[in-house]
Amino acid sequence: MILSWQFILMIVLSSLFLAWFLYRPVKSNLSDDDSNIAINKQRQVELELDLSQGHIESAQYQEAESEIISTLASELSSPAKNITIEPLKWLILIVLSTGILSLLVYSQLAPKIIPNTDAALTEPMSMSESIEKLQDYLIENPNDFQALKMLGLAQVGTGNIDESIQSFEEAFVINPNDIDLLLQYASAIAANQDGMFYGKSKTLIEKALSLDPQSIQALYFAGIVSAHQSDLDGAIGYWQKALYLMPDNHPDRNIIEEALSTVLNLQVK
Amino acid sequence: MLIEIGHFSLVLALIFSVLLMVLPSIGLYQNKSSLAQLSKPLVWVQGFWITISFIILMSAFLTNDFSVKYVADNSNTQLPILFKASAVWGAHEGSLLLWVLVLSIWTIAVSLFSKRIPSDLLNLILIILGAISFGFLLFLLFTSNPFERLLIPPLEGRELNPLLQDFGLAVHPPMLYMGYVGLAVPFAFVLAALIRGQLDSTWLRWTRPWALVSWAFLTVGITLGSWWAYYELGWGGWWFWDPVENASFMPWLVATALIHSLSVSEKRGAFRQWTVLLAIGGFSLSLLGAFLVRSGVLTSVHTFATDPTRGLFILLFLFIVIGGSLVLFTWRSHLLQKSNQFSLLSRETGLLINNILLITALFTVLLGTLYPLILDTLNLGKISVGAPYFNAVFVPIMIPGVIALAIFPFVRWKKDSVSRLTSLLRFNWIGISFLILLARFLITNNIYVLIAIGLFIWVTFHVIILLAKRIRTKSKFSFAFIGMIVAHLGIAVFVLGATVTTQLGIEKDIKMDVGESQNIAGYDFVFNGVKPHTKDNYSGFIGDISVYSGANKIAQLAPEKRYYQSGMPMTEASIDPSLARDLYVAIGEELGGGAWSVRIYYKPLVRWIWLGGLMIALGAFFAAIDRRYFVRAKS
Repeated sequence: MILSWQFILMIVLSSLFLAWFLYRPVKSNLSDDDSNIAINKQRQVELELDLSQGHIESAQYQEAESEIISTLASELSSPAKNITIEPLKWLILIVLSTGILSLLVYSQLAPKIIPNTDAALTEPMSMSESIEKLQDYLIENPNDFQALKMLGLAQVGTGNIDESIQSFEEAFVINPNDIDLLLQYASAIAANQDGMFYGKSKTLIEKALSLDPQSIQALYFAGIVSAHQSDLDGAIGYWQKALYLMPDNHPDRNIIEEALSTVLNLQVK
Repeated sequence: MLIEIGHFSLVLALIFSVLLMVLPSIGLYQNKSSLAQLSKPLVWVQGFWITISFIILMSAFLTNDFSVKYVADNSNTQLPILFKASAVWGAHEGSLLLWVLVLSIWTIAVSLFSKRIPSDLLNLILIILGAISFGFLLFLLFTSNPFERLLIPPLEGRELNPLLQDFGLAVHPPMLYMGYVGLAVPFAFVLAALIRGQLDSTWLRWTRPWALVSWAFLTVGITLGSWWAYYELGWGGWWFWDPVENASFMPWLVATALIHSLSVSEKRGAFRQWTVLLAIGGFSLSLLGAFLVRSGVLTSVHTFATDPTRGLFILLFLFIVIGGSLVLFTWRSHLLQKSNQFSLLSRETGLLINNILLITALFTVLLGTLYPLILDTLNLGKISVGAPYFNAVFVPIMIPGVIALAIFPFVRWKKDSVSRLTSLLRFNWIGISFLILLARFLITNNIYVLIAIGLFIWVTFHVIILLAKRIRTKSKFSFAFIGMIVAHLGIAVFVLGATVTTQLGIEKDIKMDVGESQNIAGYDFVFNGVKPHTKDNYSGFIGDISVYSGANKIAQLAPEKRYYQSGMPMTEASIDPSLARDLYVAIGEELGGGAWSVRIYYKPLVRWIWLGGLMIALGAFFAAIDRRYFVRAKS
C-alpha cells in the first residue's frame, strides 16, 4: 500500500522538476555590491530632492551625503569566485533522498490499517469481519479509544452483549468523558438488565448529562431512567427539553414524541 | 486513495523543506551558485505539494468524505457549501494546514518578487523560511494530521461549531494568518542578515515592504475579526480583550513599531539593533499566539485544541526560534552598533517616541494576558483581567502617540528647531483649539468623546496642512507619503468611532410583547412577533421588528434564534447599518404569552472602527508599493 504507483509518480515528477533547474539554474539576481550602490545612489537622489524642495538645509545635506558615502564604503566587499557542480551527482542524491525519506516518514505516519476504499465501496464488510479486523488491530494498538468503542458497538450489533460491555469498559478506562461512549455503554448494561436502567447504567447516563446538559441523546436516556423510577414529571421534563432542542426534521423526533405521549397518557390515567 | 495522496503530499513537502535547508546551504557555503539557486525551485515544488494536499482536504469536505476523521468531526451533509469549504480551517488540524499553506504562499511570493535582492541574501532568506516551514510541517504531520482515516466511516458527520457557520470564517482566519505568518518574512530577512554578518543597506531596504504588507494583512484580519464578533456574538461588542484577541494584537503592536523603526533604519541608518529585535519579537509573538490557541492553556471560541503534546511542541519551537535568534543577535550585535547622530527634536526622536509608546502598550497587554495564566499554572488562584484593566492602562499610553503622529511628519530628519515648527503650525493649533471648544458647546460635554473629537480634529488638520504644504512646494506625492496620510487618518477615524460608540451607545435588554413599542435614541422599535423558521441545517425562530423614525418606517429587522443539530442555541442579530449609526437587535428567550426578551442597541459611529482599520491597512499597502521598492539596480 505504501509503495503505490501514485507515490512513485509524485516523487518522479518532483525530481524531474528539480532536475530541470539543476541543469538550467535560475538566473542570479544582482550582487550585494550592485544592490548597495543602487540603494545608496537612490538615497542621494532623494536627498537632493529634499534639498531642492527646501525640506532640508545645505549643511544637513552635506552631512547626510557624507554619511551615505561612508555607509557605502563600509558595505562594499569583494565577491567570491563561483564553483561549478556536477548536476547528475546532485540529481541522484535528490532522487534517492526524496524517495527513501518520504516513504520512510510516510510508513511511520500512515495508519496501520488503511481500509481499501475501492473494495469497501463494492463489498461492504460484514459485522463479524469488522469485529475480526478491529480485534486484530487492537492487538497492536490496545489503547485506541475509537477502535474499542467501535468494537463494542459492533459486538452489540452481533448480540455479544457481555463482550461489548467489556470493550466499552476498556474504552471507558481510556476516556471516561466521551458522551457517545457513556450512552452506548449504559445501553449495553441495560440490555443485560432486561432493558432497565439502574445501577451503573443510570450513573453513566447521569454523568453524560452532567457533561453536556444540552445533549439530546443524554436527555432522551435521562427521561427513560426517570420513567423507570416512576418519576413521570422528570421524564416529561427531559423529553420536552430534548424536543425543544431538536430540529423539526431530526430523525429521532418521532421516538421521543411517542415516548412523551405514552408517559403523558400514563399521567392522565 | 485521494486522501492518502493528500497525506503523502504533505510528507513530500516536509522532505523538500529539509532539502531546502540543506542543498542551498551547501551551495552558499561552498560558493556553488547552481546549488544555492536551487532554493527557488525547491520552494515552488514544496508549495505545489502543500497546495495539492490543501485542495484534497477541501475536496474531502465538499464531497462529504466521512472516512476522514477530521471531516466527520467538523462537517455533515446538511452544511451549506460555503461553510463546508471554510470548515477546512474550522478546527485545529485544518487551520494548521492553512497556516502552512499561507507560509508557503509567502515564501513563493518572496522567491518571485525579490528580483532586486542579491541572490546570496535571497537564498538564505528562503532557507530560513524553509526551516520555519519544516517546523510547522513536522508539527502538522506528527501531532495534527488532518488526513487521519476512520476504520468504519460514519454515515453522517458531526457539526461544525455553529458560531463558525458564518461568512466571517471564510475571510477572517485566512487574512489573520496572512498577517501572522507574514511576520516570518521580516524575521527571515533579519536572521539572514545576521547569519551573513552583512548588515547593510540592502536588507534594511527590502525588509520594509514585506513588513508593511504582512502588517496590512494582520490589520485586515484583526478588523474582520472585530466586525465578525460584533454581528455574530449577539451582544454588540467589537473588542473583548479576550486573551486570543490579545494574542493577535500583540504582534500587531510590535509590527507597527517595526515598520516605523525600519523607516528610520532605512533612511538614516539609525535604530538598527532595535529594528532587528522588533523583527524577532514580532514573529515570536505570532508564535506565542499560536501556542495560546493550540496548547489548551486557554478556553475560548478561538481555541482549537486541548492536547498538551501540541502545546509542548509549539513551546519547544518557540524556544528554538527566540533563543536561536537572540544568540545570533548577541553574536552579531557589534556589527549593528553603527548609528548616525540625531538631535532631541528630529523625526528620529518622533519615531523613537512612537516605538517606546507602542512597546510599553505591548507590555501592558502582555501582562494582562499572561498574568492570569501564570497564576493559574502555579495554582495561586484564578483571576480575571478584563476590559477595565486594559482600557485604564492601554488608552492613556496611546493618546500621546496619536498626538505625536500628527506633528512629527512636519519635523525634519536629524535636527529641527521648535521655532520653525511653531511658526509653521501655530495658526493650525489655534484653529484646532477653537474647533474643540465649539464641539464642547455644540456636540457633547462627555470628556472622553471630547478627547476623541479633539484627537480626530488634531490629526485631520495636520494632515490637511501637510498636504497643502506639499502642493505649495510642488513636491511629489509618493505612495509612501500617501500611505502614511491614509493610515494616520485611519487611526483618527478609528479613535473617534471606538470612543463615540463606547461612550454614547445605548443598550436595552427588555421584555417585549407583540405590538409593543420601545423608543431608543429617537427610534421606535415595534415588536411584531416571532415565527418558527427552518433553513439548511438549523431550525428556530425569526423575529419581526419594525423601526420608525417619527412616522417614517426606516428598517425591518429580523433577528433569529437558531438551534443547530447539536442542540446548540445561537443568536443571530439583525442590523440596520449606516456610517452614522447602527441599529442592532437580537432576540433572547421566549417569556410566555408571545413575549420575548429582546436586546436593542443604538451604536453611533460603530462602522468607523472598521473603516479606520481598513484605512490603516490600505495605507500600509500604498506604502509597500512605493516607487523606490521597484527601481531596478544596474550592474
